[in-house]
Amino acid sequence: MSAAAEVDTTTQVYQLYIKASQEEVWDAITNPEIVAKFFHGARVESTSEVGSKLRSFSPDHSQMWNDNTILECDPPRRLVHTWGSLYDPEMAAEPESRVTWEIEAQPGGFAKLTLIHDRLGQSPKTAASVKGWSYILSNLKTVIETGEPLPPVV
Amino acid sequence: MDDEDLVFKALADPTRRLLLDRLFERDGMTLGELEAEVPELTRFGVMKHLGVLEQAGLVATRKQGRHKHHYLNPIPIRLIYERWIDKYRDRRAAALLDLRDELEGNR
Repeated sequence: MSAAAEVDTTTQVYQLYIKASQEEVWDAITNPEIVAKFFHGARVESTSEVGSKLRSFSPDHSQMWNDNTILECDPPRRLVHTWGSLYDPEMAAEPESRVTWEIEAQPGGFAKLTLIHDRLGQSPKTAASVKGWSYILSNLKTVIETGEPLPPVV
Repeated sequence: MDDEDLVFKALADPTRRLLLDRLFERDGMTLGELEAEVPELTRFGVMKHLGVLEQAGLVATRKQGRHKHHYLNPIPIRLIYERWIDKYRDRRAAALLDLRDELEGNR
């Protein structure tokens, strides 16, 4: 296979530095109270066990937004789970993709967070929609560093 | 130099903006593929510019087998947007731009 054919253009990579320890970032992405602050008020339910569900609901719990499965869980370094966007019928009909969170400790009291959203090849609607990770992740950085989320998008 | 300086410096160069545009169109290219996209540059030139973009966080790399893939990382631009653009995007600024367009006959 040629190099060009191996390239999966449906991988998205997001990377940022956060003034926090590896553990603080891990806590922020797994603690439902903190997730609600940076992820559109989502209510997350999970036991963090590999093979178990990682579900999220709308703030009033009336709608399930995600019914993901945890594929890898290695605190405070690495979390991998499937991704399906149930909040939109067209996206929900697309195959599941995959989200990988990597947290690395950095000198100077920083953590480097890398989010890789891949296996989006058969899911173009989801791929376009999850470009919103930029907003979510910069919001996450603000929540960790200041305790408060960004003002809501008007 | 702080992070923001690195981003502005990286974006100040037209070749580096061109490389970002190419990655926007087709993310995850290897060095060889990017070289083919900008034939006017030498391999060394592409490497040098990619290094500056990577240092500024605008490009993130992932190794996959023998190949290193380059991805456009939108986060630093998002942070600059929040820091420098969002707060000026008020009604007064919009009204002035409307006035300018009106006077220049752009609409």
